[in-house]
Amino acid sequence: MASSIVLGIAVLIYLMITFYLGWMGYKQTKSTDDFMVAGRKVNPFVLALSYGAAFISTSAIIGFGGYAGAFGMGILWLVFMNIFVGIFIAFVVFGSRTRRMGVNLKAVTFPELIGKRFQSRFIQGFSGLLIAVFMPLYASSVLIGGARFMETALGIDYNTAVLLLTIITAAYVITGGLIAVMYTDAMQGTLMFVGMTILMVYTYVNLGGVTSAHLALTNLASMVPEAMAQQGHTGWTSMPAFGSPIWWTLVSTIILGVGIGVLAQPQLAVRFMTVKNTTSLKRAVLSGGPFIFMMVGVAYVVGALSNVYFINTRGMLSMDVAGGNIDKIMPEYINSAMPDIFVVFFMLTLLAAAMSTLSSLFHNMGTAIGHDLYRESIMRGKIGHTISITKLGIAITIVISVILAYTLPIGIIARATAIFFGLTAAAFLPMYAGAIFWKRMTKEGAIASLLVGTFSSLFWLTFVHAKEATALGISQAIFGQATLLTGTWTLVDPILVATPLSVFVAITVSLLTKPASEEHIKKCFGN
Amino acid sequence: MLGIDDPQIWVVYILCVLSAIGCMIYGALNWNKGAEDEEVE
Repeated sequence: MASSIVLGIAVLIYLMITFYLGWMGYKQTKSTDDFMVAGRKVNPFVLALSYGAAFISTSAIIGFGGYAGAFGMGILWLVFMNIFVGIFIAFVVFGSRTRRMGVNLKAVTFPELIGKRFQSRFIQGFSGLLIAVFMPLYASSVLIGGARFMETALGIDYNTAVLLLTIITAAYVITGGLIAVMYTDAMQGTLMFVGMTILMVYTYVNLGGVTSAHLALTNLASMVPEAMAQQGHTGWTSMPAFGSPIWWTLVSTIILGVGIGVLAQPQLAVRFMTVKNTTSLKRAVLSGGPFIFMMVGVAYVVGALSNVYFINTRGMLSMDVAGGNIDKIMPEYINSAMPDIFVVFFMLTLLAAAMSTLSSLFHNMGTAIGHDLYRESIMRGKIGHTISITKLGIAITIVISVILAYTLPIGIIARATAIFFGLTAAAFLPMYAGAIFWKRMTKEGAIASLLVGTFSSLFWLTFVHAKEATALGISQAIFGQATLLTGTWTLVDPILVATPLSVFVAITVSLLTKPASEEHIKKCFGN
Repeated sequence: MLGIDDPQIWVVYILCVLSAIGCMIYGALNWNKGAEDEEVE
């Protein structure tokens, strides 16, 4: 009882700070640039925390933490990818060029940057459409994760939780734009950082220190259930057997799919255009690297170590304690191993993680519908009021996300993050990288890459990659079989097939077509 | 190493720590570099 009062008060204080920052965003938003790219003068510390907090959702902590509990520490390769590719490469290599080109072309969204670079309204409109159609899938899975947590932690009815979470987040995104989103993200990120630090220290101390905790986990290898061992599970401190089903999922979908996919996430890339100069991006690396380490690194290590705790206290593996549901491993561990007061704090951490990701997605979907698709592509830039149309766009996509959260089958929702990441990697990454690094890349090359990436990725996940194909059931309905190909192919993630194809098309078509005028290239890249 | 037998795991464990520290060092070293020619306004 005492802890539920503490939790109630903590949530209240948290919401008050959220609203205060949202109100500050509202007060500071005066122009289109303010609403869309936070006035291009965000502090590097705020950029780093906001980028990290938007990137890390509840599912990264609970879902992938649980995955580590079931399959072990191999997923730490994703942490390394997240820090090296997701922070260092993203900020230093992609970020500085994106920021400069964004300023040169006066672009305020990711699709607009690419569209203006290739002088193509089609690219801007089609990219906006892709975001508008597929990002709500991702947003609804984040929404469900956050609402499920509120249901268990605060004892609120699930449907009420979905509405509450949506209304609170929508309120500050619509009124305060990206300034409100980034400042609330930074506050939520700080909360997440403190929560995860306590979790890490407490877990290691509880299990007798770093080395002895790992050693105890290594010694559990003999307890891997027979069925999992046949799938390639070799223990919690070793990689799955090379080429086994678990290995393919871990390496292709999780490590490469999520690890590389992050570079082409429109809601993250737009953040590079919010800072004043390249120095801000470099400064942001200082806090961004350790932040990601403390989020995902800690979640995965603790997830794996939960096995040692449960064997010591109950004689059971985490997977068995959670009743076979991976998503319950982290909550079970935190509830049983951590002191009550920390459980309260961690609940808040998770709420913050859900809201920070959700707010960025809402903002980005709104700009895609309102600015890229409607204003620029359909109305050919004729309407003056970008902000009001974008706000309407935000409201529409929020409604769509909520409807999806209620109607989509749980099997598809669980795959939504992977679908979205895979699609953006294939459709956007080659075109985006070409736009900022390769002056010879042409409009035709970009369009070809965008279309081939989109449709090959969609084809692969509808008809070949077993996890999505089975959940969608389209292949089954048309051809009477769950997947068109069999064997190892059904384990290979769309990103490994569609992205190389998209790169190949981008290069070939660009070399075969006429380059853009020198004058335009100069305008894009500056001198 | 660190109670972990498989080099594929302890190597990445150390890599994670080193890359996080590396980011901090990089950010600190570049704290005041490159500002002159990059201003927006």
